[in-house]
Amino acid sequence: MNRQETIEIIMTTINPQDAVVSTTGLISREIFEKFDSERNIYVPGSMGLASSIGLGLAMTCSTKRVIVIDGDASLLMNLGSIVTIGNKQPVNLLHIVIDNGAYGSCSEERSMSNTAHLDKLANDVGYHYVRTIGSKEDLKCAIMEFGRGPGFILAKIELGGRRDFRRPLELAAIKNRFMLFMKRPTKGGLPS
Amino acid sequence: MNQSDKRVFNALADDRSEKADLLHGVLRELGVNFASGVPCGVLRHIIKNFEDDAAVLHVIANRESEAVGLAAGAYFGGKIPVVYMQNSGLFSASNDIASLLVPYRMPIFFVVSYRGCEGEDAVQHLTTGRATERLLESFGLPFEVFGNQNLENLTRSLFETMRKAEFPTFLLLKRGWHL
Repeated sequence: MNRQETIEIIMTTINPQDAVVSTTGLISREIFEKFDSERNIYVPGSMGLASSIGLGLAMTCSTKRVIVIDGDASLLMNLGSIVTIGNKQPVNLLHIVIDNGAYGSCSEERSMSNTAHLDKLANDVGYHYVRTIGSKEDLKCAIMEFGRGPGFILAKIELGGRRDFRRPLELAAIKNRFMLFMKRPTKGGLPS
Repeated sequence: MNQSDKRVFNALADDRSEKADLLHGVLRELGVNFASGVPCGVLRHIIKNFEDDAAVLHVIANRESEAVGLAAGAYFGGKIPVVYMQNSGLFSASNDIASLLVPYRMPIFFVVSYRGCEGEDAVQHLTTGRATERLLESFGLPFEVFGNQNLENLTRSLFETMRKAEFPTFLLLKRGWHL
């Protein structure tokens, strides 16, 4: 499974009313180019903060699900965040970590995710739903089976992929449309 | 203000502060309903005010960067957040302020304790103390240092500046500010 397939499955399997916070670098740029939507917030700088932003959002808007699309190296930059998420127990937060074992948006330098056991850590700090997957089918199932959070899906992928995506630049406009999206009532409440 | 006053230094004193109560009340009137930060003894009264206020969603963070992220998320979700930290942490979180809050034009109010000023007894604060105002100036972000001004007027006017500028804005509080 590669990054392109992973992102495609995530963005087409989650509920259209879910909010998405995506991490720095190629993950955000690929989502911006292929799946740009009012429901997306990109984290172009401040690497590592996607999960913190997602937690702040999830605690604030309990009627919407928040999907954080993180990377292994960016999670490792702000690892304390999973402790906070485990402590606050946001039921509407799904934290997906795309793990290519590297700083894929730089020059593919190796991260330490191969010895970090991020899924075990997530389980130990209190995530309610933890899955580790390595195939497209399993990823789709893990997203569809997610019920009560905090949820954690560790998606192991191969390194590499396209790099020439456009960058999100009009951030103030992205913020404004996202905040309007968040204000809109969610039809039918949280999926169970 | 007498820096040797026990009330300045005893961070475990279970006292209240009229100034902190005032700041808390003004921030609440201005709509603040979310607070996140990393504790500092200088800010202990206002942190307790946030903690005791059921109308404020209060999340203590592990690091200052995390508090910036939490507040940004809360802001995106419609809350009016305050972030608190020591000025030492302002340096840790400076890139997150500059690369997340500034380009997204997020008016988030920071209450920052200002160590490393005249009379400082801890060497680890001296370098950041000297650089704090210059850091904020170099970012081009609004800030005020609370001294002899009226705290309510100062906070209201700084908040108004923040709302107009749509930038993170900083209130710096020195040791003993709460007396």
